[in-house]
Order: sequence, then structure tokens, then C-alpha cells
Amino acid sequence: MLLPPPNPSIKRDSYGEAYQSIIAKHRRSPMTSASSVVILVAPDVDALCASRMFAELLKQDDVLHRIIPVSGLADLERMKNELLTYTELHTLILLNMGSILDLPSNDWFGCFEENLTLHVIDSNRPQNLSSLFGSEDPEVDKRILIWDDGDAEKLTEEKKAWESILYDPEPDSESDDSDDDLLISDDEGDDEEEEEDDDDSSSQVGQKRKSNSSQDEPSPKRRRKEERAQARAKRKEKQEAREARELHEKIINKHYSVGTWYGQAASGIVYALATVLERIDNEILWLAIISLTFQFTTARISRATYEGYQQLYSDEVARLNATFPEDAIPGDFEGIRTGQELRFTLLRHWTLYDAMLHSSYVANKLAIWKERGRRKLSGLFAKMGYSKSHTQQNYQWMSKKGRDELTDKLDLYAPEYGLVELSYPSFVRHYGHQRLPMGAADMVEGICALLDVGGRVKILAEVAGTQNGGEWFGGGRTWEVGTRWRDDDKENKPPQQPAEPNSNGNKEDANDDAKVPVPWWIKNFWAAYDALNNVKAVHEALFLSMSIHRAIIREGCSIIDKQQIKSMNGHRVVIITQGPDLDLLAQPATLSKLALWLVDSHRDRVPGTTMGRSKRKCLPFVVACLDRKAGSYLVVGVTAALEDGDVRKNLFGLAFLDAKEICNARSRHGTFDTSVIEINEADLTMFLQALCNRPNA
Amino acid sequence: MSSSTELSVQLITECKRSSNSGTLYKYNDNLVRQLSREIRVLDRDLTALLSSVSHLPANEIPHPELCALTMIQTTIERDKRCLLAYHQFRMSMLKDMYWAVGGALPHVLNDPDVRGKLSPHEVDFMREYARITMEYRSDLSDVVDITMGIITPPKDIHALVIVVRDCGVVTTELGAIDFQKGQRYLVRRADIEHLILQGYLEEV
Repeated sequence: MLLPPPNPSIKRDSYGEAYQSIIAKHRRSPMTSASSVVILVAPDVDALCASRMFAELLKQDDVLHRIIPVSGLADLERMKNELLTYTELHTLILLNMGSILDLPSNDWFGCFEENLTLHVIDSNRPQNLSSLFGSEDPEVDKRILIWDDGDAEKLTEEKKAWESILYDPEPDSESDDSDDDLLISDDEGDDEEEEEDDDDSSSQVGQKRKSNSSQDEPSPKRRRKEERAQARAKRKEKQEAREARELHEKIINKHYSVGTWYGQAASGIVYALATVLERIDNEILWLAIISLTFQFTTARISRATYEGYQQLYSDEVARLNATFPEDAIPGDFEGIRTGQELRFTLLRHWTLYDAMLHSSYVANKLAIWKERGRRKLSGLFAKMGYSKSHTQQNYQWMSKKGRDELTDKLDLYAPEYGLVELSYPSFVRHYGHQRLPMGAADMVEGICALLDVGGRVKILAEVAGTQNGGEWFGGGRTWEVGTRWRDDDKENKPPQQPAEPNSNGNKEDANDDAKVPVPWWIKNFWAAYDALNNVKAVHEALFLSMSIHRAIIREGCSIIDKQQIKSMNGHRVVIITQGPDLDLLAQPATLSKLALWLVDSHRDRVPGTTMGRSKRKCLPFVVACLDRKAGSYLVVGVTAALEDGDVRKNLFGLAFLDAKEICNARSRHGTFDTSVIEINEADLTMFLQALCNRPNA
Repeated sequence: MSSSTELSVQLITECKRSSNSGTLYKYNDNLVRQLSREIRVLDRDLTALLSSVSHLPANEIPHPELCALTMIQTTIERDKRCLLAYHQFRMSMLKDMYWAVGGALPHVLNDPDVRGKLSPHEVDFMREYARITMEYRSDLSDVVDITMGIITPPKDIHALVIVVRDCGVVTTELGAIDFQKGQRYLVRRADIEHLILQGYLEEV
């Protein structure tokens, strides 16, 4: 059932009421409240922030809850089967998952206990119409609440179509033959969807009934004429009903087949909830800002949408924090500030040169992969008056004058190179004297790095000061996730035999725990979760993020150099089978980043094509990377818009499914994102052929 | 007599090593028996010497015998003191272990590592100690639970914990919680304090 956003002018049930119902249920049953609320969280930054905010709200209300990270659909199914066995469970909250699933059906949550309420806070669109507007069982519907951001209310056509198809069964085709013997329904010309099936039920009954108008018997000939007229009208009605039904089905199909896009971030919805409950503070606001920036930097929402929300949050920031003019911020300010941010990755923590080199917008305009492009970049710096040492040293150590003038000089000289719109409004958080301020985008980079790569792949993280042949030998250290998980401590056994029972680390190996280690993505999840609070951890993660960026650029440049981008029927396809960063790129998130980078860098060089049914041009990009260990290819499809800052709905989810059916490739969806798929090694070429040569591609 | 290979010194060195490394060594039954035998031997010498000078009054005992008697007596006392120190040290280590797990005796005793290092007397000691502690605890249970370990006073009723080792389903006052590795729970502090102590959960 649809839960609309809170609207002060209309009094209706919204987020606040749903939340209060959770608390009420929890308080009503003190004996069984220990494991009654479960939060399932998808592994992306938005869901992470939302879960943190929600957990904080629940904690303030003394509601015992449990947070479980879920990696993909398969995992969700497994979790659902497990949750079926919990009798005390009365609230289940899904963050950034499940809105496309047909939740009321018996496959999913239709067969759960009576007292279970399901809340779905998901930014993925399109949403499943059955979950939104109702299924066959209204009882189940009331228990499944989809928290919506206002878009679903605009789906009035879809709603009508859905309801009409749901409540009117298929009209019988046999009723056409028997023309005379049918009862004429009173509301002949009316809309089908209004009432229960009059003509249908009567057609099923198919009784012989005399028409009510003929009490007395007019002449038989006239009666026959009347009846024939009635029969004709009946047939026309049937025809109309069928056409209407087809129209409804078309509307519904269109709803699902325009592709996938993103609505308001889950954190945004939880933020609205917190506003209704009047429990906003800087922490919650900062988390909401992080999610919004995440959506923007990963091209999930367009710039216009971003600026709209940014304006909202900007007002909130002003409400909660003192405002200072740009150059007069006191040293011990600890709060959030709105400001214009330059679109260079990790500018504050990197060197100016590196930051510009690794931002995809600059890469596009200056063609960084060519030596000429890099020289152009150096030329730009020279024009602006920054010496090489200025740009190759850490941004923090640049002279204050240099930093202040950067924006102005960029406005002056950058347009010559085609770099316009270099800044966008964003937020910065200050931490007083403890450390440097952290921008929202930087935070997103750090958290993404922790979440996506973290401890899975051995990667050399940079150490500050090692750039450009610094003092240390060997420019990095292997990244390690914190050693909270004690089965990591295999190397830390004390050398002599007596192992103290107090140091539980070694005992673990004796138990069966060591045989079931915690999956890497769960460790990453919690590392990222903790880092949301801990700026120091994020700072350290930024070095990891820098390495990831370097790897992406390396790979991207080599792809373009070797001209590995093939064009198949308008789609651009890249297949990566070797390279130093293969392990790193075999993660869905990093591969998506690479795909986005490639898209950004090709934006102006490649003409757009139309995909699917829409007339709008877009850039479909498919990147496939070999995962040696799994023996499969990880394929990511990105539908990008032609202009920077715009987004298109991603048609690859459906495209992949179509292609899979056509060529019967063995594949697997590992994450919640339908545009990321794993294909068995041998089936790749077949799959790509099917993908690009689809009938409606 | 003052060489470092002397038995009593060996016992004390073992205590020192044990306390420096923080681990409990195996009960050195061998050394203890040797030391006891040494005491008995010395005692025999002492009684022999004493009987040879017993007929003399105290101030007329010849000097060498007096010295010998004093030496032997001091050595015996020293050996005794070392033995007592050794046992006292081990007992206090065991007591610390007991309190560290919040009074869950099986946790200490059923652990094969630890069990192998204790002598039967020490096991009996642990059991008896646990028994009298439990008795005392039950007396005070309506006021305070003395086996709850508190290093820092709790600030919240609830604690956010993460499961580090699988502990299965735990029944609490508010129902049963199924703790699974890799998930986080908000739980009542009182219910799971003992699990934190025993190392199954870790507070976030």
C-alpha cells in the first residue's frame, strides 16, 4: 500500500503515523519485543545513511532492533525464508530494496504472519504496482507499506489501469455467441472500473432472462428486433471492454518498460520522517546530505533535481548552524556550511593536478588519456599562474592566496578549454581545530571506497607524502580493515604454548567460527557504517579511494588508447580481460565507476542513439570485466544522457533480461541493481550479440 | 645456596615470568614436590642437630652448631615462603580469570587449555570459590549483582552490540534473540552484559 509523504495541508496517514505504529507495536508486547524489529539494508551509501538515521531514531525511542546487511536478491530470499521462522517479528524495514518486487504475492511476503508489517523505503524506481495499489488480498496490502516521495501519487493513470485489471476478471469470449439470451446491464456505457463485473457475471451465468422492459408482450417481430439491437449493443460493449483492457495493460507495461531510475534517496525519506518527529540534528542532516551527494555524483539524479534538494538542505543547514562569510570562518567552528564546490575529485585531500586529472568532466574536455591532453592541463595551470610545485603538492599546503583565487582564475581561463560549470553547490563540514574540513563529496568517496573495496582486494593505499618520490620507499601500504573480526588474527598467536583463555582470539580457531568466516562485504559494510561517525576513519579511507581512482584512470586510459571500445549497433561495448587492476575492477561498484568515467569522457565525441521505445537519444555503454576466480564476466550497463548533469532511465535491466532469454546464457544477478549481471565466461560473446541486436534495441 | 638454580628461586622465577607474560603456566608439581622434599630433608638435619645440642643450655651452644641451626631454620622458612608465594600467585590468577568471565565457572574450567594447567587442588579451589561466591551473590541479588563486570558505568539502558562469535539463540527477559555473526543488535544492557564479558558480543 502506498504511504504518501507528509503534507501539512492534507490530513492523512503518512510517515509519522507509520513510525508511531512501529513504536506502539513494540511497546504493546513487552514480553516478545527483543527481536521484533528487523532492518534489512542494501549495501550502498544511501541505504547505509538511512539505516543509521533510522537506528538512531529507534534508539531514542528505546525500540530494540536488529540491523542486517543484505547483498542481493538471492540473499534477500534466503533472509526471507529465515525470517519466516521468527514468530515474534512484527516489523520489517527494507532499505533500498524490494520496491520492484511483487511483495504481496506468496513468493515474497504475502504468506507471513498476521502481525508482520513491512515498510519499504526504496529509492529504486519503477515500483511494483501490486505493492503500491493493491493485490488480490486487501488484508495483506494493509500490512505492506511503501514509503513514497510523492511520485507515486502522480501515477493516477497507472492506478486506474491496475485497479481495473485487478478487479475485473477476463471477459468471457463465449458470451459472444449467445446474443439473445443475455440480460442487458443497466450501466451499459459506464466505465468498467467503477463497479464489480455486471456484464461479466451475467455473461457467466448466461441464463435465459427476459428483458425487464417487456412485461406485456409486444408483437414478436418487434421483440426480436429489440433483442437483436440489445445483442449488438452487448457485443459493442464487449468490444469496448476488451479494448479498454488492452489499453490498461499497455499503460502498465509502459510503466515497467521505460527503464530504471531513482527517486528521492531513502535517507531523504527518513529525513522527512525525522522532521515530522522534530528530531533533526546536525548528524542526521549530514547523513542526508551525504546521500544526496552520493546520488548526484554517481549520476543517479540529474543536476536539476540535485539542486532542488540541495536548496532544501541548505535551508536546514542555515537553520541549525551559524552562518559565516566564506573567508571569516572561526577556527573552532564545528558544523555544516553551504558552499560552492569544485568538481574535482577529492580536491581538498589531494594535489590540484591529481584532483583535476581524475575528475571525469575535466577528462572529457581535455582528453586526458592523450599526452597532449595532460599538457593542456599543465598549460591551463600555467596560464592561471600556478607553478608546477603549486599544483603537484598537497592542496592543503598550497598558499592561502592560491586557494582563494582558484575559483576566480578558473572562471577566467577555464572556458577557453571548454571547462564551464566547474562548481556546484554543496556542503562542507568543519571539525574545529581537530582536522581539516570534509566536503560532502569527499565523504561519499571515502565511504564508497570502504564499502565497495575495503578488505576484499589487496590494494596499495597511498601514504601521504609519497607522491612524486617522497621520503618513503615503496609508495604504499596494503589496506587492512580493522581487526574487530577475530578470525583474522591467525598470525597473532603468541609464540609460546600457553594460550591464555582471556585472549579469546585464539580460541576462535578451535571453535567452528573459523570455518564460517564473516563475508567480506559484511565486514566492509560495518566498517563503512562505523566510519559514518568517525571522520578519522574516512580520512584514512580517502587514500584508498585515491588508489581506486588511479586504477580507474589507468584502466580507462589504456582502454581508450588501445581503442577497445567496440561499437555494436549503436551500443558501445568494452571487454576487459587483462590488466593490473583486474581484481579491483571485478567489483560491481568499481566497474560502474569505470563505466561512468568512460561515458563522461566520451560524451561529446560519440553521437547518441535511441534505445528501446523512447525517442530521446542516449549513450548506452556496456562494460564487461573478467572475474578470474569466478570464471565469469561481470557486465555493467549504463545508459547515459547526452548532456552533462542529465540522467536517463537505465534500460539495461530489461535489456539484459531480454538478451538472456534470447540466447539462454548462464547468468546471475548478484546485487540489487538490475543493470549489473554476471555472465558465464563462455557465454559472453553470445550474450553481447543478443544484447545489441535485440529487435527493439 | 644462593645460586639461581636453587629450587625456590626457580619457583619464584616462574611466577615472575608468568606475571610478566600474563599467561598461566602449568602447575609445576615436580618443583613443588622437590621443594617439599628438600624441606623435609632439612628438617631431618635440623632435628638431628637439635638433639645433639639439646642437653646444653641456650647460651652455651657452640658457635658452629648455632650457625648451622640458624642457617637450616632460615632455609626452611624461605622454602616455605616461596611455596606459599607460588600458590598464592596462582590462586590470584585463577580468581582474576574467574571474575573476568563474570563468574561463569564452566567457562574457565571446561576450557581444555586451562584445565590442563591446573592441579586437582586448584580445580577444587575454583569450585569451592565459585560456590561461596554464588552463595554470597544470591544473598545480595536483590540489591546488586556482584558478578556483573563494570569497568565504566553504563550510560544507557540499551547497548548497540555486534556479534563477534556465534552464540545462537539467547533468551532474555524480553523474548528470545537469535544472535548471528555479522549483524548488529540494539539490546537491553542488562541482558547481554555477560555475553560481552565472555566475548561473544562486542559493544559498538
